[in-house]
Amino acid sequence: MKIRELLTRWVGFVALGIRRTALRATHTARQRIRFSGLGVAVAIALLVMVTGLSVGLATSTTVYDDDIDYWIVPDSESPESPLVATDSPQFSSVHETNDRITAIDGVESSTPVLAQVLRVGTNESDEYVLIIGVINSPALEDVSGLNTDSLTPHDPYYGDGEYNGTWTGDAVLSEGTAELLAVTTNDSVTIAGNRSFTVTDIESQSSDVGNVPTALVQLSELQHVTGATTYDQADQFVVSTSSPAVRDDLEGIYPQSSVQSRGEMTASSTRNSDMALALAATALTVALVIGTLFVVTTSGLELVADRQQLAVLSAMGISVGSQIRLVGAQTLVLTGLGGIVGAVCGIGGIRLINAVAVRTITTEPIAVVSPWFVPYGTGVGLFVGLLSLPFLVVVTRRVTGGKLG
Amino acid sequence: MAGSVASFDEASSSVVVSATDVTKRYTRGTEPGVLGRLLGRQSPPTVCAVDSASLEVRTEEIVGLAGPSGSGKSTLLHLLAGLERPTDGTVTFRGTDLASLSRRERTRHRLEHIGIVFQQFHLLDSLSARANVALPLVETGVGKRERRRRATDLLERVGLGDRITHRPRELSGGEQQRVAIARALITDPELVIADEPTGELDTEAGRTVLQEFERVAENRAVVLASHDRETLELCDRLLRLRDGSVVDQSPPGGSQ
Repeated sequence: MKIRELLTRWVGFVALGIRRTALRATHTARQRIRFSGLGVAVAIALLVMVTGLSVGLATSTTVYDDDIDYWIVPDSESPESPLVATDSPQFSSVHETNDRITAIDGVESSTPVLAQVLRVGTNESDEYVLIIGVINSPALEDVSGLNTDSLTPHDPYYGDGEYNGTWTGDAVLSEGTAELLAVTTNDSVTIAGNRSFTVTDIESQSSDVGNVPTALVQLSELQHVTGATTYDQADQFVVSTSSPAVRDDLEGIYPQSSVQSRGEMTASSTRNSDMALALAATALTVALVIGTLFVVTTSGLELVADRQQLAVLSAMGISVGSQIRLVGAQTLVLTGLGGIVGAVCGIGGIRLINAVAVRTITTEPIAVVSPWFVPYGTGVGLFVGLLSLPFLVVVTRRVTGGKLG
Repeated sequence: MAGSVASFDEASSSVVVSATDVTKRYTRGTEPGVLGRLLGRQSPPTVCAVDSASLEVRTEEIVGLAGPSGSGKSTLLHLLAGLERPTDGTVTFRGTDLASLSRRERTRHRLEHIGIVFQQFHLLDSLSARANVALPLVETGVGKRERRRRATDLLERVGLGDRITHRPRELSGGEQQRVAIARALITDPELVIADEPTGELDTEAGRTVLQEFERVAENRAVVLASHDRETLELCDRLLRLRDGSVVDQSPPGGSQ
């Protein structure tokens, strides 16, 4: 058989399988097809929900924003990390370095970020809040979903290596934080119990940039409060740019650092969080096992029930290989569709979890929603189909060519 | 001498399929294993579905198989189509012993040389009439456009030109059987085998289908099994089977 004919045969049976599944799902075997697809969809929906929760756990203290293109983070794998902190590596001399980054062509804005979970108090209450220290500049718009306009620019408390400038005490609070502390604009709060800050603005924070109560303050003032002034320390830099070429320049800023895009940052945050990684990996394994068992059972039973049709195909001269292609295409279409439906339902589930969490337990969403969950869910659905194929091939081989009625 | 050889060749070349002393036995249950034999388990009984049957079918000939239920008609059809292997005897198609072919080769052989029409049509519910007819051409690697053209032509020939996009459930029994006939003819087979082709149809639909069979027999051989007298009257030759054996060969109007 010529290659062209073989290809036509392949494409023909795969197309036939797709068409057959679509028509069965909409016309001739609606319930059976929907039931099979539903099994995969439920497994994928649970996977997406648990993944959203675990990514939320891992990235809850990661500073995100739509304007941020790159993160410069210490290379924790390196034994020669430039850093000075005890529990996690930090950058030193960050004010000076930030000036160098801002001077690079194509950089729109840049700031070092020091993030600490600290007690924030009023006369009446005392709560743990994620405090983020930044150097504001006119081009810097949002950090972690909070607008920086009401922070005095250029971090005036720091100047020429000394911490002796004007103390601003500016603090921008997320709505969740303000609600938690029951404060409004111009109220005073204390951070870590020793310095007073004034609430200059209260901002609503979108659900995909952070999920803990957050406050923005001047970097040097946070360094002062936490004792990070010795080496002028910060955890990372966030950089906004219109030019991808800037990445190369950023790579050379610190010798033992890595420059990460948004996706890489999320992935590395999740990877570095044992709990989140374990949760996500377990959810994936469970979805694959449950999904595969479900598809193997339902499709296997369906093949046995359809053995008369396979026998007819065999009698007509359709080879076992082509029957397997047909069954394979049908299975993959079914699991792929189940994956899409499951991913969409999973995203809906995450929104529901967040809504319930905000109403009952926390002030901010706890799980992350990402459009990438749709291709992820679809991919896992297709993988479930692929894992099921060997069994379905064996069943097809066994039941085809049986007795004709 | 030369003339007699020529006439012999001519006669044998027109034989499409032949069965010689064909016997098919089925085992009821499974053979005992070593342990079963040691424990004295007997071999299961066998049933003889076809017993030393012989026939030849030539081009443009319609051969009918008649007999009561269980007489071996369907089994003999399956043997002629290469769906099953005989226990004894040989089935040859254009001189090739079908038993010498592997399972895969026999499947390919059916695709290229044999069209089968079933009593219960066995169309794929989820496909249109045209897609059902074109299905064997997918296996032969014919392109989509050509498949559609040939399937549409055949459906028009069987009077279903206005039903090509209908699914089987939207067609009457007679129409479904005509779609099945078109499907059987799509690869232009030399032999068409039909098992009770009018068994599920009312009289009027059955007649329409029989007219199609008369046309089908042009340039090919047809073997059909039926209980129905009207269907069997269409045949050039009739084989009567009883308990798996051919008990009579005659023209349709011959002895009952």
